[in-house]
Amino acid sequence: MESIVELKNISKIYQQGEVEVRAINDVSLSVNKGDFAVLCGPSGSGKTSILNLIGGLDEPTLGNVWLEGVNLANQTNAQLAEIRKNRIGFVFQAYNLIPVMTAYENAAFVLDLQGVKEKVRHERVMQTLAEVGLKGLEHRRPDEMSGGQQQRVAIARAIVTRPAIVLADEPTANVDSHTAESLLDLMQNLNQQHGITFLFSTHDQHVIDRAKRIIQVQDGKIASDECRV
Amino acid sequence: MNLNTLAWRNLWRHKRRTLITASSIAFGVLLAVTFTGAGDYFYTRMIDAGANMGMGHITLAAPDYNRAPSSKKYLKQVTELKQKIIQLNEVKGVLARIHGQAMFASARKSVGGMFMAIDPQQENTNNNLFLKAMIAGGMSTDDSKKGIVLGIDLARKLKLDVGKKVVYTTTDKTGEIVSAIARVSGLFQTGAIEIDGALAILPLKTAQQILGYKPDQVSVLAVTLYDQRNSYLLRDKLQKMAEFKNVDVLNWQQTQPDLAGMIAVDKSSNHVSQLLIAMLVSAGILNTMLMSVLERKREFGVMMALGMSPRNLFLLVMLESFWLALLGLIIGVIMTAPWYLFMTNTGIDLSAAYGEGFSFGGVLLDPVFKIRLFKESIVAILIGLFGLALLAGAYPAWRAGRVAPVESLKAL
Repeated sequence: MESIVELKNISKIYQQGEVEVRAINDVSLSVNKGDFAVLCGPSGSGKTSILNLIGGLDEPTLGNVWLEGVNLANQTNAQLAEIRKNRIGFVFQAYNLIPVMTAYENAAFVLDLQGVKEKVRHERVMQTLAEVGLKGLEHRRPDEMSGGQQQRVAIARAIVTRPAIVLADEPTANVDSHTAESLLDLMQNLNQQHGITFLFSTHDQHVIDRAKRIIQVQDGKIASDECRV
Repeated sequence: MNLNTLAWRNLWRHKRRTLITASSIAFGVLLAVTFTGAGDYFYTRMIDAGANMGMGHITLAAPDYNRAPSSKKYLKQVTELKQKIIQLNEVKGVLARIHGQAMFASARKSVGGMFMAIDPQQENTNNNLFLKAMIAGGMSTDDSKKGIVLGIDLARKLKLDVGKKVVYTTTDKTGEIVSAIARVSGLFQTGAIEIDGALAILPLKTAQQILGYKPDQVSVLAVTLYDQRNSYLLRDKLQKMAEFKNVDVLNWQQTQPDLAGMIAVDKSSNHVSQLLIAMLVSAGILNTMLMSVLERKREFGVMMALGMSPRNLFLLVMLESFWLALLGLIIGVIMTAPWYLFMTNTGIDLSAAYGEGFSFGGVLLDPVFKIRLFKESIVAILIGLFGLALLAGAYPAWRAGRVAPVESLKAL
């Protein structure tokens, strides 16, 4: 299978005062195109740190991260911003929508950054909002929407650019189980119908149950990596 | 959504905070206009008043007259010189005057003082402060009547009134002591004791006859300008002209160094006040923008995670400062306009506190406090405050651009 992300002998060490904390310890991992994978494990096991490294938000202390064959270690901050803008979608636990923007504008935000022309942008945003079930709510601001609706906007924002991979950090943590199921339905459909690669960080059993691949992280190491057919 | 729209909306997340900060900028405009306008108005009034009191904005005199005045030093062929000067665009008027020192005597008393001889046909209440300050009688235009106008305190010292005779003694152009008799035709009161108690005004022809000057010989040519700020320009221009090669051409800063010095000192303290205003305004903006950046740290982290470049984040915060400054300036202009119009047209009468006349640097001042801004001062205030606002926003913007996404995403 075609690999999108490659982590080779990654370690991430934080300095807390005089104590060294090894958040990730010599992890090697590859994420393939079309994966619907979860990084699961207890809090502090290193799941989010791995997502941050893949997303170019953080740098490994040791090892290298490749995204679509590009070594992130060799990139400047501006180049990393370009990569994130064009190749990665992010979904956060707390939705993290921009409060002064409507659902439409939030979903269009990254396309704006990419400089996509108004007509194309409009078509893609409207189509994506419809896909995530928000047709008719385009003009609502985040504070006028429920948590589930906000997370749908966040998903729309993440997929509207057709990224190589969507990194979702605890995307269901702030919603009730019913909403979590519907969000997972949505992401699963996007994965199956459009082939969008998802990598989750979660300890929500709902997510784990839906995953095609479960990567267990413990004490900064990959404890197991199991594929479900 | 473009950055401009986003910046504008961000500004209204905290309406009250934005309005308070914009109001502080607006208040800065009001204060800056008041301080600068008062300076522009008073300095111009003082300089113009000083010019009207004798030497003009530009003074043409015989070589070394200004350093050591004497009846022996006088200008010749002033009619030709006047014609040359009056052709220049900056020049409002040229007045021939004779200055001198004299001993004034009445039947009862003698008092030392000075005289200024003017051409009554050329000078009036618009270009001569003493004629404007006339409280009894007037300046006789008939030379045969041998009239003299005295300052009120000089007349009191001599125990004279309008219609009474006075003898004055001075030295002529050869250094000989000469005396003449005159009849008091008028009295003036400026409010400045040092002037009212020492100065007499004579008709030019009379003074020329007594001093032995020919009709086109005077002590000085006092040149008044439409705009006193052109004094250096015109002085330099005249100095370069061949006709004025053997004449001292001085601007008011040279003939009235006390006034120039006092204005310079006052301007410095005015600049300090303006600097304090600027610092207050900047501190307000810096505080607002810094708070705004710090409380949106997580949001900036998200934006960077989504692919926004540090440069665009810097630009976003700078645009917020831009809109905040523009808003503050607009409110400031709206707020300041009625105040400025009132202070320009009516002003505040301070005569109750300071009396009808008070002097500064030997120059009489109007007791009505008014303000007036030069065009360049308006531009300087607006650009200065706007620039300061942007400068104050630069540090928070820089901080925003340096946000580490991974750290910011951890922020609450």
